[in-house]
Amino acid sequence: MEHLVLIGLNHRTAPLDVRQKAAFGAERLAGALRALRACEGVAEAAILSTCNRVELVATVEEPSAGVAAMEGFLAEGSGIGRGELRDILYRHHGDFAIRHVFRVASSLDSMILGEPQILGQVKSCYGAAVEAQTVGSRLNGLFQAAFRVAKRVRTETGIGEYPVSAGSAAVELARKVYGDLGRKRVLIVGAGEMGEVVAQHLADSGVGAIEVTNRSYAAAQELAGRFHGTAHPFERLRDALARADIVLTSTGAADILVGRELVREVWRDRKNEPMVFIDIAVPRNVDPAVSEIDGVFCYDVDDLSSVVEANLAERVKAAAAAEKIIDHEVRNFSNRLRATRSAPAAMQIQGRIEEICRAELERCLRRIGPQDAKAVEEMEAMAARIAAKIAHPLLMELRDSQNSPEEHASAALLMRLFQAKDAK
Amino acid sequence: MSWLLTATIVLYILGLLHSIFGFYRKRQVFVRLALGMVFAGFACHTAFLTLLGGARGHLPITNLSESLCFFAWCVSLAFMVANVRYRIHALGAFALPLVSALTILSQLAWDEQHTIPQFLRSGWVYFHAGAAFVAYAAFFLTSVAGVLYLVQEKELKGKNFHFLYFRLPPLQVCDELMRRFLFTGFVAMSLTIISGAIWAQQAWGRFWGWDPKETAALVTWAIYFILVNYRLSARWRGRWAAWISVVGLTSALATFGVNWGLHRYL
Repeated sequence: MEHLVLIGLNHRTAPLDVRQKAAFGAERLAGALRALRACEGVAEAAILSTCNRVELVATVEEPSAGVAAMEGFLAEGSGIGRGELRDILYRHHGDFAIRHVFRVASSLDSMILGEPQILGQVKSCYGAAVEAQTVGSRLNGLFQAAFRVAKRVRTETGIGEYPVSAGSAAVELARKVYGDLGRKRVLIVGAGEMGEVVAQHLADSGVGAIEVTNRSYAAAQELAGRFHGTAHPFERLRDALARADIVLTSTGAADILVGRELVREVWRDRKNEPMVFIDIAVPRNVDPAVSEIDGVFCYDVDDLSSVVEANLAERVKAAAAAEKIIDHEVRNFSNRLRATRSAPAAMQIQGRIEEICRAELERCLRRIGPQDAKAVEEMEAMAARIAAKIAHPLLMELRDSQNSPEEHASAALLMRLFQAKDAK
Repeated sequence: MSWLLTATIVLYILGLLHSIFGFYRKRQVFVRLALGMVFAGFACHTAFLTLLGGARGHLPITNLSESLCFFAWCVSLAFMVANVRYRIHALGAFALPLVSALTILSQLAWDEQHTIPQFLRSGWVYFHAGAAFVAYAAFFLTSVAGVLYLVQEKELKGKNFHFLYFRLPPLQVCDELMRRFLFTGFVAMSLTIISGAIWAQQAWGRFWGWDPKETAALVTWAIYFILVNYRLSARWRGRWAAWISVVGLTSALATFGVNWGLHRYL
């Protein structure tokens, strides 16, 4: 009889330096997996190791001994004292372990709620365990289920749809004005570091074209080269503005660079086409009064953080819905697990009854000599009916006792009564 | 046959409820279900109108209940075209209340009386009235898109990143929807007036008689004419166009409602 157990530490229970000590780098993961499986009582094993968490999942013969062995393994590998380890570890068993794996894969246990990378990390850790041949049918089933649950959470709650970084918030704002950005032109003014991060998000969102201008033309050219855009001298700012749908400013200028009158003129040249300003410079490069013009939208760093805040709040709401999905999936998974566990007993008992009926039928046929095909057919059908009728109530009893404490007792009793051989 | 109208109403209301729920919970599954229900409702609606027209021997637009029912059919059609083309998930929650209300009113006000006086019996009735209904439906959706635009613009300008910000479509999508339905409606309205004039010439020997409905239609047409012109010259877009489209709708509704004089039969 095998039990599913999980021990681990994460960003909530352990500080970064401890997590780093405990982490299993990619190069020593395969060796660690094999060593973990070699521990006393461990049947299957997988290790999830990222910068925010280290977790060991295993099926063991006896839960408390198994957990102790796993803790010993982790203490030995990391050099963290057992006492310290005891304080920072969480230990889950059975349905709680299943729930934990589902929550981690669905990014409900992440530092940034709903961040998408964790699923990929879980997948590659599972891949490593498959390669090291330390997982069997139980953990395979668990991980496949976790991937399915994570996908379901993502599509049904939309938890990942709310951007929670300044760069993706800027993209979201532009999308709320324009919809598709495929034919929109971005102008990057200045080559600040923060500007570059936001520019990268805009470039990744598939905008139509990118132009760069900067007081230093060389810096503009360098940045334009990186984003496959075109560089323009700073004196041509006005022309560049007239072409731009999205303007990203991040210069170190002390004064306003783009004033209201300038934007009004440019906007007229643009035949009143909308414009979006993302001003992440401090102090501001764009006069906030430009948003008084119809169709001109201007957002600064504070606005980007309030978008992020609003989106985080939406993620928390989505997470509540996700927990419900996970509750449901944990129940399903653990029921299925129980059903497959009692299936071998049921099959053996049924097989034994059928065997007896078939043997008696053959003996009878031998004794009465050759018969016509019709009669043989009838007798065979009768034997099959008898086997089915005897087996039916027994199988029902096995199924009904599945979730009760007598589960193992009744299975064992039936096996003994029918002299069915246990495969173990 | 009237069970078809009941089925239509039930399906539209189910579609409306799913739209509102999908809008509130941001669950696209419900919006898609809603669209399916409206499609089914539209099929029943079409069957009902076809059978009704067959039984009465004319296009069912001769009394109040018939024309409400027919108008609902036009709005429903326009809604589906807009939804299939632009996939605006928020549209159903705003356009379907009218469709449901019109079909319910039509059933409540059901009237077995239906006649077209002999002098109005002409092929023109189909074209003239058909075009008018298309124009009303298109103007209605123009203003729905206009309202969506105004609200989302307010959220974006006010940096109000809350409930509606997350749920309403992007501004330019609203603007594009507004433009398409404005032009469709304007063309249909022009055709209505022209065909009406020609028909009047044939029936009474004069093109124009300043009958109340004719006058109202002309005012409505003029409002939209100005709007179309300014849109084409790009002087008015966005907020202004959205406001005018809302004003235009009130005029269009007044035109729809003015039913005395020569148009007492609608």
